[in-house]
Parts: sequence; structure tokens; C-alpha cells
Amino acid sequence: MKLSAVQADAIQELGNIGAAHAATTLSQMLSSTVSMSVPAIKAVDLAELGNHIGDESAAMVVFELQGEIQHGGYIIFYITRESAIRLTNTMLGMTDTDRDFNEMDQSALLEVGNIMVSAFLDATAELLGFIMLPSPPALSIDMAHAAMESLIAQLGEEVDEVLLFSTELICEEHKIDSDIIMLPEVSTLKRITDLLEEMMKAT
Amino acid sequence: MAEPNSQTQTTAMIGIGEYRVGTFPMMTIGLGSCIGLTLYDPLKKTGAMVHIMLPDSGGRTERPGKYADTAIPLLLKELDALGCSKRSLVAKIAGGACMFEYFGTNLNIGERNTDKVRIGLKEQGIKLSSEDVGGKVGRTVTFLPGSGGKVSVRRADGVTTEL
Repeated sequence: MKLSAVQADAIQELGNIGAAHAATTLSQMLSSTVSMSVPAIKAVDLAELGNHIGDESAAMVVFELQGEIQHGGYIIFYITRESAIRLTNTMLGMTDTDRDFNEMDQSALLEVGNIMVSAFLDATAELLGFIMLPSPPALSIDMAHAAMESLIAQLGEEVDEVLLFSTELICEEHKIDSDIIMLPEVSTLKRITDLLEEMMKAT
Repeated sequence: MAEPNSQTQTTAMIGIGEYRVGTFPMMTIGLGSCIGLTLYDPLKKTGAMVHIMLPDSGGRTERPGKYADTAIPLLLKELDALGCSKRSLVAKIAGGACMFEYFGTNLNIGERNTDKVRIGLKEQGIKLSSEDVGGKVGRTVTFLPGSGGKVSVRRADGVTTEL
């Protein structure tokens, strides 16, 4: 599905609102300032996915979009391996960065992802009047491309191009760099853009 | 897309659904549930690599490299055009993982991809000499047709094995 300039702007604004709420929760959890980028929407051909998401090691907390839709696609809390260690260290009061992930780290990451993605989806639901709920989370700490291509392979609607919609959240004090990435099914994206266009007409 | 090119010796990066045929080094990164399949002809020192995403094309003709059922005949045709005999080809596969247990259980695309590729090779009478498949792990694969068809698989933790 091709987005018009107006649709892309509207989606960007939606991402802005969602990510701002997610950034606030992250800021509270870290007791530190978190800044966010302008949300970016990229139409990526599958063959080119590797140019956007490489085989670097990263933690991805993944939720299926559910609620008013059954299988709406995925929303992902993405954080590089180094940032993930610094994040859990900050939360758990540890300092050793040269270590493996343990169970504590994994539950901390799942929890952070859960809180941030819930905040993101709460905010977008309020704006759209369309409820998307996160499924229970799944965690992968491995090559980012491997995790992402596996999600794309199991989308219900087969695609040759994906719309990656991501916002970067950065905490400079603790050198934590993370992203919230949405990978919606085409039908979900259509539903969202339709709702946004109705809202714009109404105002 | 994916024109065979034997002039260059730089490593060809093979994206999802893409393939290459030739004597130059090839690489495909971050295989999850997808399969990296290599076919190598030791007599011609020529090979082919493809990054397969799904088991069945369901009759689609675009992007034949994306599906197990269309990718294998496609590579055989391309290799045949370069004078490689089907009988001398050796196949190796990597990938077919299940990265997310929670979501993956009902679909298990990785396992279906692996099965379909194995069946496809068997139907063509091609020997599958070695494989590194399954589990919950991402893999990056390099293929060197010029160096005896060497295939190495690197995992996220940096551990590299040869197939």
C-alpha cells in the first residue's frame, strides 16, 4: 500500500503522540531525561531489508497487535545489545557491562517493553478511538535481521514491501538508544489511515 | 534484480528472495526462519545462493527466489545455463529457525521451509551434503565458490562453523 503525503504526515503525528507517551514511561523508569526523534516511515523492499536492519545483536520485545483487530501485525521495542545491558544495569543497580544476559535482564526487558508499548498503544487508541492491544510479549536477543524477517514471514497478508514505522528514543545520560517499530498488516494500516483521514475532515 | 555476474570478486549481498549464480563470493545476512541454500558444482567451481522466505509460492511467478518450491528449479536452470551438470551439484542449507517461540508455535515457518527445501532437493536428485538448521538462533552465511565451495555460518555470538 502506498501512502499519500497527507497519510504519511498523519501517521507520523500518530507516532509522535504514541512515542511521546512511551518516552515518558521510559524516563520515569530510568529517572532520567529521554529524547525522541521525529517518527520515520520507510517503505522497504524485502530484498533491501538488510540495509535497514542488519545482523547486529539486538534485543527485540515483540507484541502482536490485537484488540479490535485479531492479527493486526506487530509492534516492537528494539534495543541494541549494548544499550540493553546498560538499560537493565540502570534499572537493577548494576555496573558490569561486559556480561551475558541473565533471566533478570530478560524479565526487565520484557517489563520495559510491556510498559512502553502499552503506553504507546493507549495513546494511539485514545486519539483514534480504535483499540489496539498488545499480545503477551516475546523476546529475541539475537541478530536483528533474523528476528525481523521471521516476523515478516508470518504476517497474514503476504508482502514484497514492508512499511517500517519507527521512532528512536534516546537517554543520553545512560547512553541508551532504542526504537519503537511498528510493522502493521496492510489492512491495519488502511484502517488507521482511514480513521486519521476522517478525523482531519471532521476538524 | 540478481543478474548473474562473474566479473566482480566483491562479495554479493543476497537479500530476502534474491539469488546469485557465479564464481564470486556471496553472502546472506541474518537468516531467521528463512533458508539460505547453496548449490555448488566442484567441477566448474561455480555455485548459486538463494535466500528463501516461504515454503510455497501458491502459483505466484514474481520473485521466484522467495519460495522453496520455485527457488530450486530456478537455480538449477541458471546453473545449467553456465554448464553445470545437475549430477555434480552439492547442496548445503542453513536457517529455518524459530526466533519467537510464543508466536512461532502454530505457524513454524522455519520448519516448513526446511522440510520443503529438503523435499525439493530430493525430487531433483541433488545431494544435501550438510546443514545447520532449526533452533532459536539467527545465522549469517558466506559462500565461496572460488575456494572449493566453502560455506561458513556465523551466529550472533560470533561463533562460526563450516558446513
